[in-house]
Amino acid sequence: MTGAAADALFWLMAGSAVAAGWRVFRADSMVRAAYWLMASFVAVAVILVLLAAEFLGLVLVLMMAGEMTIMAVFMVMFMMNPAGLNPMNMVHQHRAAIAAGVIAFLGLAGVGVFARFPSAPPPSAARVTADVGHELLGGSMLIFETAGVALLATMIGSLAVASRRGRFGPADDGSREPATAPAAPEATPPESEHAGHAGMEPHGGMAP
Amino acid sequence: MGIGLSIAATGLVLVVAVYLVAVLDLVLGRLVAAAPLRLAEAAVRPVRRGALLLLQRSPRTERPDQVLWILAPALLGAIAAAVLFVMPLGPAELSPGSGMRQVDAGIVYFGALMALVMVAVYLHGWAPNSLFPMVGGYRFVALALSYEMPLALVLIGAALPARALSVGAIVDAQAGLWNLVRQPLGLPIYLVAALGAAFRGPLNVPDAPDLAGGTSAESCGAGLLLWELGRNAVLVAAAAMGAAAFLGGWRGPLLPGPVWMAVKTLALVAVLLGVSHLIGRVRLERFVVVAWAVLIPLALLDVFAAGIVALLAGRP
Repeated sequence: MTGAAADALFWLMAGSAVAAGWRVFRADSMVRAAYWLMASFVAVAVILVLLAAEFLGLVLVLMMAGEMTIMAVFMVMFMMNPAGLNPMNMVHQHRAAIAAGVIAFLGLAGVGVFARFPSAPPPSAARVTADVGHELLGGSMLIFETAGVALLATMIGSLAVASRRGRFGPADDGSREPATAPAAPEATPPESEHAGHAGMEPHGGMAP
Repeated sequence: MGIGLSIAATGLVLVVAVYLVAVLDLVLGRLVAAAPLRLAEAAVRPVRRGALLLLQRSPRTERPDQVLWILAPALLGAIAAAVLFVMPLGPAELSPGSGMRQVDAGIVYFGALMALVMVAVYLHGWAPNSLFPMVGGYRFVALALSYEMPLALVLIGAALPARALSVGAIVDAQAGLWNLVRQPLGLPIYLVAALGAAFRGPLNVPDAPDLAGGTSAESCGAGLLLWELGRNAVLVAAAAMGAAAFLGGWRGPLLPGPVWMAVKTLALVAVLLGVSHLIGRVRLERFVVVAWAVLIPLALLDVFAAGIVALLAGRP
């Protein structure tokens, strides 16, 4: 991609990321807010791809698409609002939020202004993804992978404990929804006897 | 071939492929039902249905999110186009254009696009502000979270012999032996996930008839037409990726690369459509259990086996 087109795309995506981030707090629904946030991250992902960090950009989209859907579902569940369609205010604790926002902006802007960024593009033969991995983890790769396996085992274990047929018996014991029809008292004895009879007979319809 | 031309070519391929899916679906449905089959009728009916849908007026629900309702099918189509756009149609040095450029992290690219399918279907269920579409949308989230992990794992397994994430490299690594043979677990698991991604047949839980059409229960007219086109397009994209990752992609004797790619993709489309006519819809909670308790361990086994083989084979 030529310089001018890449620049135009960068500014377009940068503007989109900021605008979508602003819409997160103007949306009146949790689902809309979650997907505005995803749109903002997708714009950042395009910028990452422009910066030749293709893998990071694509992983960002991959993670955010799943994360934001799960987040929307969880928020809807916690708000007891099954469809997530009721209007709601996404902005709370204005003073603390403004202070945190200003501090975060100043910090990031400080990094942007004072840090020295490399200006040379990586050679096209460079194994960017592998290099980022070595740079981030280096010799700790084995520890990191071990921690990953431990976390996976923890997740499987918690699922096994929490699942319906876990080792501590049915997890939904006592929380099953009640039957819609009242049970025994209404059925008269001859009927129940007939029903039981018909149920046991293979050809229940032909029983006298 | 410039980038504009390859975008146009991708669009044309997508239009033809979506039409072929509709025809194949009709034909296979008749075959499975042992009903009389007239090819002329099968060729015309999708067009006729499309024209009819275009003439119908689009319904309105109470306070829908009109923008997202239209964006959801468009997103499905865009996902499919983005997948097809980077499918390798020949060796990298002979690739017909800069447009069909190889994404270095092709598997991740595909995974990211497949994750966006979940967003599209969920939003298509959420936007109409109506009960059945909403339930369908939530069903698809559960379905997608279940099939995505096996999908990603078998694709990682397919990438291991190539020692690279790009689809072109994965195809090149199958010069001697297809991944279908080398990793017998890969393609079946992949096809289950592909059925889920295109929500067809046994895994059509979000748009199921038991929900009066699910996420498209409130759709009619052009919106419904777009949605069905997008759904067929995702099926084609998933089949194309399966052909590249497990059936050797463009590699084959005599015929040129693009033809082999098209033949293999259509064969996988036919398998997926045949399965969706042969097998009844499964219950979602059953499938979730099967996906997490059976498919993921099998996919892990596939990855471990592929990794051991790649290690024993040594560096190429």
